[in-house]
Amino acid sequence: MELILIFISAAIVNNFVLAYFLGICPFIGVSNKLSSAFPMGLATTFVMVLTAIVTWLIYHMILVPYHVEYLEYVSFILVVASLVQFVEMFIKKVSQPLYRALGIFLPLITTNCAILGLALFIVLKDYTFIQSLFYGVGAGVGFTLAISIMAGIREELELANVPKSFQGAPITLIVAGLLALAFMGFAGMITV
Amino acid sequence: MKTMIAMLVTLSIIGVISGGGLAMLSSWADPLIAANKKADTERAIFQVQPEAKNYEKVDAVSYELYRVLDAGSNEVGYALPWEGNGFQGKIRMMIGVTSDLMTITSIEILEQVETPGLGTKITEDPFRGQFSGLKADPQVDWVKGVPPTKSNEVQTITGATISAKAIVAIVNDGLTNLRNDMKEGGVK
Amino acid sequence: MKKQVSLATEYTKGLWDQNPVFKQVLGMCPMLAVTVSAMNGIAMALATTFVLTFSSLIISLIRKIIPTQVRIASYIVIIATFVTIVDLVMRAQFPELSKALGPYIPLIVVNCLILGRQEAFSSKNSPFRAVIDALGMGTGFLIALASLGGIREIFGSRTLLGIQVMPDAFEPWLIMILPAGAFLTLGLMMGFLNYMALRKKSREEEEILSRHLQQSTMSIAKGQEA
Repeated sequence: MELILIFISAAIVNNFVLAYFLGICPFIGVSNKLSSAFPMGLATTFVMVLTAIVTWLIYHMILVPYHVEYLEYVSFILVVASLVQFVEMFIKKVSQPLYRALGIFLPLITTNCAILGLALFIVLKDYTFIQSLFYGVGAGVGFTLAISIMAGIREELELANVPKSFQGAPITLIVAGLLALAFMGFAGMITV
Repeated sequence: MKTMIAMLVTLSIIGVISGGGLAMLSSWADPLIAANKKADTERAIFQVQPEAKNYEKVDAVSYELYRVLDAGSNEVGYALPWEGNGFQGKIRMMIGVTSDLMTITSIEILEQVETPGLGTKITEDPFRGQFSGLKADPQVDWVKGVPPTKSNEVQTITGATISAKAIVAIVNDGLTNLRNDMKEGGVK
Repeated sequence: MKKQVSLATEYTKGLWDQNPVFKQVLGMCPMLAVTVSAMNGIAMALATTFVLTFSSLIISLIRKIIPTQVRIASYIVIIATFVTIVDLVMRAQFPELSKALGPYIPLIVVNCLILGRQEAFSSKNSPFRAVIDALGMGTGFLIALASLGGIREIFGSRTLLGIQVMPDAFEPWLIMILPAGAFLTLGLMMGFLNYMALRKKSREEEEILSRHLQQSTMSIAKGQEA
């Protein structure tokens, strides 16, 4: 039961994008079309789950026993960069059209603060291995949810008359603000 | 082949310099960081037990607990850091309680992420002040909308009922744990 | 031969023309997350500038001896090392600030601004220039964070840098302290700044157009006289 709560908390109540401001760069950059936003979300979720697993193992089996916790940031980001590299190679081998569709966005997952943020939070919250797994899936689902909703809205916005000075980043941020307000309604869902 | 070697050598050198530098910095920083943490805990302990002059960590229990002493090294009570879920996230607090574990001396909120202006009122008087000298016999109860009538009741915050109830729940939960351990003679 | 950019321009371009936040739309995560108060924003910007400047310096110094295949990995390790330095020093010497900025200090590692600068500039320029560029970008970042932080603090907490500047009668706009307020305020700020820039550009174009018009009218008049 607690695991389900961790999942829901990460996905909705404490959504990584709308509550913690993680993953904003791709959130603004890749959310203009649902057809690119949704696959980006899935790819990010995949990397997140792998990251949660690998960084948990590295932290608890290497960094802590050898008292080198100060290598946390260096090792974690190297893990993320390597994982993204592997995922890229994997997708290229398995599905050429998908690889071409995602294009430049794949390497950009490395600098998605949501991934490193996930790894750091897991250490901060002192989650067990299974808890980290559920947390990673929840965070990924939450990110995918946020970026997909945003893409849906932006596609509608294409038909609206947005003033020239607000096109692009400004209007996206304002929409994000309204979305954040809406998601605040979920607060309090996960109390004792 | 030559580039492979160059790649490995470059990365290794960077790694070694980075690791070595951080190791040295860490040995300077770690004691300071630990001292900061200790100072924070100490401040909270003296906050919730105003009569306290000294304290010592209780090792007999599996969680963090401090026995608080006065100037004459007599036991005045306990300071228990405890945490639980609030409205928006985790709430961590320090509970000061008398030796018989029946009266709360005071509480101090250490960490919270409640709604600013509403839930954050748990850190301010008058809500927080209700816990000074509050009876926790058999436990702390809350009332809403009306002033408390019993000596173990507190009134919730208008517009932030859930945050207030969370505090009461955490206090009760912490005291229950402590009382169980006390009964089994583990705390002495 | 590359056009030689003056050193002054190398610095000032980061303040407005290529402002990391307002123009390049980089560093959004910290921009929104820590700007609840001006002080937090300033502290974050200074920490980021420290990492950016020293990373740029080191990477520029060794730019000729890093094999290209491992350059991104090397940049990342160097950047992460400096972030760890900042984090350790802050937790040891400035615990209150460290608690306020929380997990966003380590997230400087993935601030696309820093990695982007190495790839775009430090790896191709002298150390001196790289440092100037870094300082310029850092200052631009500071301006952005301080202004958003200031606005949110004034309207959300009645204070600026901890000093009360709004009368007690002013009821703070709580939304300013919440995530929604960050998004909305930044969106409005950027929209407004874009509007001012567009207006300035169209005025300049109008002026050039009317000057051309004047000149051609004058030469036509002269031609007719002759």
